Amino acid sequence: MSVPLPKLIIGANAFEGVSYIGRAQAAQFQEHFSKAENVRAVLDAAYNTGVRAFTCSNTPSVMEALQGFSRTPEMSIFPVIPNAYEYAQEASEKGVLGAVMSKAKGFSLYQKVKLGMRALTKIKSVLTKDVMDLLLELLNFELMSFEKFKMGGVLLHGQVTDLALSSHNPDILAIFQDVIRDQYGLEPMLATHNFGSLLPQLMAWKIKMPIMTAMNSKGFMMKPSREECEKLVAESGYQILAKKVLAGGRLSPEEAFPYLAGKKIESVVVGVGSVPEAYHTFTVAKSILKF
Amino acid sequence: MSADNTKKVRVALIGLGKLGILHSAVINMARGAELVALADVNKQLETYVKQAGLKAPFYSDVDKMVAEVAPDAAVLATPPFANLPVARQCLVRNMDLFVEKPLAHTLAAAKALVELAASRPIVTATGYLFAHMALFKRAKALLDEAVLGRIHRVRSAVYTSEVFAKKKGWIYDPEKAGGGAVINIASHLLYVLYWYFGLPESVMARTKHIYSDVDDAGTAFLSYQDGMQATMDVSWSLPGYRLPYTEIAVEAENGMMTLTNDAIKLFLYKAAKGLPKDWTTIHKIDLGSTSRFEIGAEGLFEEGQDFFDRCLDRRSPAVSWRDGYAVQRLIEAIYRSAAGGGTVSLGDIA
Repeated sequence: MSVPLPKLIIGANAFEGVSYIGRAQAAQFQEHFSKAENVRAVLDAAYNTGVRAFTCSNTPSVMEALQGFSRTPEMSIFPVIPNAYEYAQEASEKGVLGAVMSKAKGFSLYQKVKLGMRALTKIKSVLTKDVMDLLLELLNFELMSFEKFKMGGVLLHGQVTDLALSSHNPDILAIFQDVIRDQYGLEPMLATHNFGSLLPQLMAWKIKMPIMTAMNSKGFMMKPSREECEKLVAESGYQILAKKVLAGGRLSPEEAFPYLAGKKIESVVVGVGSVPEAYHTFTVAKSILKF
Repeated sequence: MSADNTKKVRVALIGLGKLGILHSAVINMARGAELVALADVNKQLETYVKQAGLKAPFYSDVDKMVAEVAPDAAVLATPPFANLPVARQCLVRNMDLFVEKPLAHTLAAAKALVELAASRPIVTATGYLFAHMALFKRAKALLDEAVLGRIHRVRSAVYTSEVFAKKKGWIYDPEKAGGGAVINIASHLLYVLYWYFGLPESVMARTKHIYSDVDDAGTAFLSYQDGMQATMDVSWSLPGYRLPYTEIAVEAENGMMTLTNDAIKLFLYKAAKGLPKDWTTIHKIDLGSTSRFEIGAEGLFEEGQDFFDRCLDRRSPAVSWRDGYAVQRLIEAIYRSAAGGGTVSLGDIA
C-alpha cells in the first residue's frame, strides 16, 4: 500500500546552520536563520511557489518560526525525530544512556501523565522491555513539540535507522512503525544514510515504509554506490523521498532535477538558504519534474 | 598479500559510550569482521545492548570476556585512562587492538602501550580518522607530489562549540582525560600535521582554562628542522561551530593550499603535476562516495574496515600505535610548554 506524499518538501538544513559547501556559508546560515522572521521569509517564498510541506527537527528557532508563520496551518509538517544532534551533544558529557535519561527526567508532570495515558493503548502489548518503553516515551516526547501543527508523516532520524540496521534489530523500526501509525494515525517514514544496505534488509524483515535517502547525479551520500541505489529505487517498489538532490549545493537546480525526472521518486526534499533561492529552486523543480 | 575473503576477525568491543555504539555498527557492517563480545564496566548497559539487538554476549569483566570468548581482536572505545589497563588484559591473548584516540591520557601510558605491542606479533591501530577521509588523503597526496614545492609556513586551527560552562564527566577531569581541548579536540589536527609534515623540532605553547579544570583553548608554535614553521590554534568554547571545523593553510614556494573539512583550495604560481597555474578547488562532494557504509562521521567506517583488513592480511594499518605515540609526544610538548612557559624540544620527550 502506498500513501500520498507531497511532491515537494522544503528541508531545514540551512535553518539549522548546516552547509556542505563550507564554513562561511554555515556561519552565514547560523546568523541569518537565528532570527525567526528570516526562516519565515524563506518558508513564505516556498509557499508562494506552491510548496505545502516542510520537514525539520524540533530546533528551537525553527519551532518559533513555524509558530509565527501565518501559512503554517496550510503546511504539512514532517518531523524528523529524535533530534539526534541534541542527544549527541549531551552524550559527550553524560554518556548515551545519561543523555536519554536526562531528557526523560525533563518531562513535566503533565507530559508524564499524558505519556502514561498513551501507554494504555494497544501499543503497550508490544513493549515488554524497559528500553523500548523508554524509546517510546522519547518518541512521544519529541512529537509533543509538533502536536500544534498539522503533521503529514513522521521520519525516524537517519542515525537511528542506521543503528537499527547495523545492529540487525527490526524491533526498533517495527515499534516506530506501530506507534506512528496506530497512536498518531500518521505515516511512519525512515531517513537513512545507507539506503543500499537498508532497503534489502527491510525487504527481508517485511517492513515497508517510505524511505528518505540521498539521490543526486554526483552520488553524494549514496551508499554503497550511486548505481546500487538507483537500481533499488527502480526495482524495490518502496516509496522514495529524495534528499540531497542538489548534492549539498554542488549542483544548480537546472543541473540537479533532470537526474530525478523519470525515476521512481514520490517526493523531493530540498533545503534552500534564501528567498531568491527558494523561488528559483522550486520553480525549476516544478518545471522539470512536472509537479 | 590481500585479505582472505572467507575468514572473519572475531572482534570484541570494549566501551559502550557514544563512540562504542558507533563502533558496534561499524563492526557489524564491515566485511571480514564478526562482533563476538561486548564489554563495559557499567553493568546496566547489558540491558541496553540486548534490547538494542546486539547479539554478542555482554561482560563487565574484561578478563572474563577474554578468557571465555577468546576474540582475535578488540576495539577499545574506552576513555583514554582505561586504554593501557584494558590493553594489558587483552594482550594476555595477543589480540590485535584498535584504540580510540588519543592513544592514552599520558605520555607514559602511551609509551607503555607501544612497548607492550613491540614484542608481540599484533596489529595495532589508533583512531585518528582524518587519515581515512578522502579530502585529507587527497591533500596528503598533493603534498607528497611536491605540487607546492618547499613549504614555508603552516597555519592550522580547529574550533567547536561545546563547552560554555563547567561540565561533568571524565572528558573534563584532568586526571582521566590527560587534558582538555588540546588532547581531545586538537589531537586530530595534530595527527594531520604529523602525517603531513612529521614531528617538529620544538614547541612553544599556551593553553587557557576558561570554564573547565582542563584547557578550553590553546595555541602552539611549532618549529621544524627544515625551517618550516607552523601554528596550531584550538578552542572548544567558540560560538558558531555546530560541528568541529578544521582548517590548514600552507604557504609554500609554489603558492598556497587551504584545506578545510569541505574543500582544498590551491593557488599555484606555476602549473605542477597536471594542476594549472592560479586557482584550483577540489570539493569533498566532487570526490564521490568513498565508503560502502556511513555512520557517525566520515572516515569512521573506513577506519574500522582498515583495521579488520589489516588483522587479516597482517600489514600495518593507516594509523598504528607508533603514530598514535608520535601524536602523544606532540601533545605532551604542548602541555609541558604551556605549564613551564618556555620552548620544549621534542627530543626531550620520548
